[in-house]
Amino acid sequence: MSESEIKLDLVVIKKDLTAGIRECSQRGLYHSAKWLSEINFSIAHIKLPLETSSVVTELESESYLLAKSYFDLKEYDRCAFFTETCVEPKPRFLHLYSQYLSIEKKKLDNMTDTNCPPDPTKNNALRMLCTSLKEDQFVNKLDGYCLYLYGIILKKLDLNSLAMDIFVDAINEEPLHWGAWQELALLVPDKSTLLSLRLPNHWMKHFFLAHVYLEQLNNEEALDIYYDLHSQGFDKSTYIMAQMAIAYHNRRELDKAILMFKELLHLDPYRLDNLDTYSNLLYVKEMKTELANLAHTAVNIDKYRVETCCVIGNYYSLRSEHSKAVLYFQRALKLNPQYLSAWTLMGHEFMEMKNTNAAIQSYRQAIEVNRRDYRAWYGLGQTYEILKMPFYCIYYYKQAQQLRPNDSRMILALGETYEKLDKHENALKCYYKACNVGDVEGMALVKLAKLYDKLNEVDNAAAAYTEFCFKEEDQRAGGYDGENEFYNAFQYLANYHLKRGQLEDAYAYAYKCIEHDETKEQGKSLLKAIATKRAEQEGFNAKSSDQSKANVTDITNDGNGSAMEMVFSPLNN
Amino acid sequence: MLLKMAGDTDMEMKTVSVDNINVDNYRKLVHTYLNLHAYNTALFWADKVVALTSGNPRDIYWLAQCMFLLKQFHRAAHLLRSKNLDKTYILCNYLTVRCLFEANELNEALKVLNSMDLEVFLQAGNTSCNTTMDAGMFDDTPKYQVQSSVLLLKGKVLEAMDNRGLASECYKQALQCDVYCFEAFDSLIRYHMLSAAEEQELLNSLPISQQCTAIEADVLRTLYKSKLKKYNTIVGLIPSKTCKPIYNNTPLQTSLIVMHRKFVNISDTPKTSTMNCTPNSEVRTDKVEDTKSDQMVLDSPENGIQVRLQQSLDLAVSQAELFYYNCDYVQCSKITESILKEDPYHASCLPIHISCMVELKQSNKLFTLAHNLVDLYPNLAISWFAVGCYYYVIGKRDSARRFLAKSTSLDRLFGPAWLAFGHSFAVENEHDQAMAAYFKASQLMKGCHLPLLYIGLECGLTNNVRLAERFFQQAQIIAPDDPFVMHEMGVIAFQNLDFEMAERHFQDALTRVKPIKDSIVPERWEPLLNNLGHTCRKLKKYSDALEYHHQALVLCPQSASTYSAIAYVHSLMNNIEDAVHWFHKALGLRRDDTFSTTMLNYVIEQLSMEQPPYPDAPDYIPDFEIATNAEEDSTTNDNVGNASERQITASDMSIEVDL
Repeated sequence: MSESEIKLDLVVIKKDLTAGIRECSQRGLYHSAKWLSEINFSIAHIKLPLETSSVVTELESESYLLAKSYFDLKEYDRCAFFTETCVEPKPRFLHLYSQYLSIEKKKLDNMTDTNCPPDPTKNNALRMLCTSLKEDQFVNKLDGYCLYLYGIILKKLDLNSLAMDIFVDAINEEPLHWGAWQELALLVPDKSTLLSLRLPNHWMKHFFLAHVYLEQLNNEEALDIYYDLHSQGFDKSTYIMAQMAIAYHNRRELDKAILMFKELLHLDPYRLDNLDTYSNLLYVKEMKTELANLAHTAVNIDKYRVETCCVIGNYYSLRSEHSKAVLYFQRALKLNPQYLSAWTLMGHEFMEMKNTNAAIQSYRQAIEVNRRDYRAWYGLGQTYEILKMPFYCIYYYKQAQQLRPNDSRMILALGETYEKLDKHENALKCYYKACNVGDVEGMALVKLAKLYDKLNEVDNAAAAYTEFCFKEEDQRAGGYDGENEFYNAFQYLANYHLKRGQLEDAYAYAYKCIEHDETKEQGKSLLKAIATKRAEQEGFNAKSSDQSKANVTDITNDGNGSAMEMVFSPLNN
Repeated sequence: MLLKMAGDTDMEMKTVSVDNINVDNYRKLVHTYLNLHAYNTALFWADKVVALTSGNPRDIYWLAQCMFLLKQFHRAAHLLRSKNLDKTYILCNYLTVRCLFEANELNEALKVLNSMDLEVFLQAGNTSCNTTMDAGMFDDTPKYQVQSSVLLLKGKVLEAMDNRGLASECYKQALQCDVYCFEAFDSLIRYHMLSAAEEQELLNSLPISQQCTAIEADVLRTLYKSKLKKYNTIVGLIPSKTCKPIYNNTPLQTSLIVMHRKFVNISDTPKTSTMNCTPNSEVRTDKVEDTKSDQMVLDSPENGIQVRLQQSLDLAVSQAELFYYNCDYVQCSKITESILKEDPYHASCLPIHISCMVELKQSNKLFTLAHNLVDLYPNLAISWFAVGCYYYVIGKRDSARRFLAKSTSLDRLFGPAWLAFGHSFAVENEHDQAMAAYFKASQLMKGCHLPLLYIGLECGLTNNVRLAERFFQQAQIIAPDDPFVMHEMGVIAFQNLDFEMAERHFQDALTRVKPIKDSIVPERWEPLLNNLGHTCRKLKKYSDALEYHHQALVLCPQSASTYSAIAYVHSLMNNIEDAVHWFHKALGLRRDDTFSTTMLNYVIEQLSMEQPPYPDAPDYIPDFEIATNAEEDSTTNDNVGNASERQITASDMSIEVDL
């Protein structure tokens, strides 16, 4: 990989960062400034040669200062008014940015019910702002920051491909503005698009690439870059640690991820960023005490942060207080309607409460925010399964599966739906793939076997059953829900071998059947059949084989068909 | 007063002989007081002067003038007529008529007017310049200006008597006599009496070069040109110091139409507003070059006068109008607001300003403005028009109609109010009443194609396609370059299933709309692009259709109907995944859209049947290639057939809704 040759000059980076932090914070781009400062802090040991900071007297500095103070106090309209005639880049940006923020703030204030997010078609003000930016952009009057703003607005208006171009322009103009990179990362649909982007050759690019890879669930590549950056001097960066933790989380290496988060919180105890992911991890691992602790700490730090609300929501959800959980997710959304995890998690809660309509709404919102949220797609699939709309169901599961091609849960769900539609072949392919990628829940194999059987692929079925039995036997220590399946498998195998005349094997399997109540009777009759057959064989008499065959088929038909149950366990990761 | 009078008579009249009194001093007194608007005092002294000079016609004229200024119209007219001055002196005649006109005695006025032969007066003037006195002139007012004023007055009288044909003849003559007579020019164009071509003709026929010097002629031409109709100008570069971007003008009217079409969805269409605009001088397509060069002249530093003139509010109003016709309402309202800041009741700016408010739905500002206007000028049509527009914007159509009716009763020639009146019916689907209002407007505004266009629209909405087409054709005769008309023609062709024709019309309109810089098309034109998309889809040019729909999306993002149109094209192109994606988006915005719901059901079914379960679908499960595949294909084909049949009707629906 080319990324492995990352060469970073920390002094240059430091210089860039200092400039970038200044530029961003002067423009009120606080999140970018925060990010840059965090990176800057992680290389605090690098010292810059002292520069005589020349105090640049800027034109229009009076109106800039006035506007900036209004901006900081969130009096956006005022800020916009006093910068209306300014042409200097900073007040100009403040003028546009405050207009945008004012529109957004009003939208948020006018939102009455979190369940129905602000009507996206009521965006006249935004459209007007967009038009004026479009005109300015046409005459190339926008600098990197204004381009970023233009891109944001385009994205808000759902003109994503246009927005992508604009962000690329913005980045080329101002590579130090992390916000633009971040927005772009959300828009890049796949790796090939990513590689075709015209990006500046800047050290920020590495951070961006890793970010995108992570965003696209391309965890290995992301981790590679992060390892590299880590070894190149950013070993103290909390940002990189958090990203790595998320990557582990995506790879379902839960323990590693939890460890990482613990370390992170040790270094940065008042951090709230990414804690929602951490709480998801604790939820999945059902670590109740840790989650409770986390929730309390988060509340202590800041009650009104989306992350805090999410952590609390997860906590209540783990305690099965779903309506309370929903309340907290709604609060998170009130704070930020674009907050992805809350939408998805709220969808899960509604599912638990059997409120499919609300669940669908939540999931759809989540997808609106980020089309790559496979949990929401999967959730949609589940809801439509309940609504008995299998075609939709297939579509949604497919989307989820494409996002997580190596996750057996999606492909399994897809297979089950195909099976319901009597598309046995497709279902079979799905189960097959599920087994291939490593079945988490252990159900794929037996389903595969059953389908093979249904499609008269007796040999394949038997092979699958055998495999299944081997695996189960290895795993089985304590009680197991799928006991019936397990013994049905033995029964099938016994029949199969019996039919083949492999009496030794048949005997072994039939014998197992007796261990279980439900299959006891069949087991016994099988044993009987085997005994007769053996007797016949011993007597070199093949006459009665026809009869025994008939018996065999009867018995197999008795076997319980597919008693599939839908499982609505929220997919927390 | 009484005391003073007593003193006057006692001391001077009796003792001083008439000859010793310098009457000129008193005359001067009269003039001074007139200038100071102290009309009563002036009247008093004028009366004395008349007495002193024992009825000098010139002094009587001034006396009458004082009465006129005191609004004692009958008294003045009686004075002049009792002395028979109206028969002998042209200025007296003029004043008499003026008085009678103001007193609303139109027949009488016309009689007096006709009693004096203008030709005689003229000839007298021609033969001997010095005998002006005898010919009826008292001072050195140039004769041609007097003549022009008389003609203008005659025009006004005739117009008030509803004889508009003759009136406009008079105006034209007045303008021929004196090219500076703006009122005549304004009367001609203000009420859309002339079509754009006729206006241009008028301007060309004026003897400007005979009456002014070259530089003045330039100034005059530019000024008048700025007043001509703007909607049929394709690209109008108006030189301006204040406005940064230069747009091509899109016709106002067109936008109205589009709005109109849309009104099914959008109830508060600001059609009204469009109408208000006072007519401006036209710049013809073929004259574009001329305008440009004019502007070059204007811009060049040598032409200081013209540059200065740019600061005149009238020209700023023209500029605003231009923006309005370009559908750039924000820019337009910026200009009008700055104009109104300088001159809060600028008459010709107000209609544009109000229209703009309607477009931008700024009900609060409209409310304040309307209140102020009604308080100050309850007798002006525009005040009540503003009130009507306010109610129109906030959706109270009944009240809107009441006030618009009031406005039209105050000034029957006020076209915008009539159109707005029509719109208030149209948005409520009251087609017949709307048409009646539009018809009235079309009678008043002979030179404006808007009413015709609206009538056509209403016809189209009542499914009378034939009639609609005829009206559009009439509109096109008046305004051949108007993209709105072209667009409507396209829609009609589409409804007649003549898609090639429709495409041609739409393309024509598009080329007119597309600015010099092609990226910035006003938002108003989103329906045009969508319709082009629909048409291309019908013609099976799917990728073109997609392109147009996406362009429409850029103009007007997050529109459910555009989304579902895109989805539909995708489904016809067999891009089923994309189709599902876009239908989802459409339904996300408009959940009760039956077309999208049905289509989504179809395509999603198709998708799950046809496509492999996952991208790298394995063929490698041994022994599993079974003959059922063939069956599957045939069933899906059936599905496609059904779907497309259904879609034709459904899409027809959708195109209507879009429009």
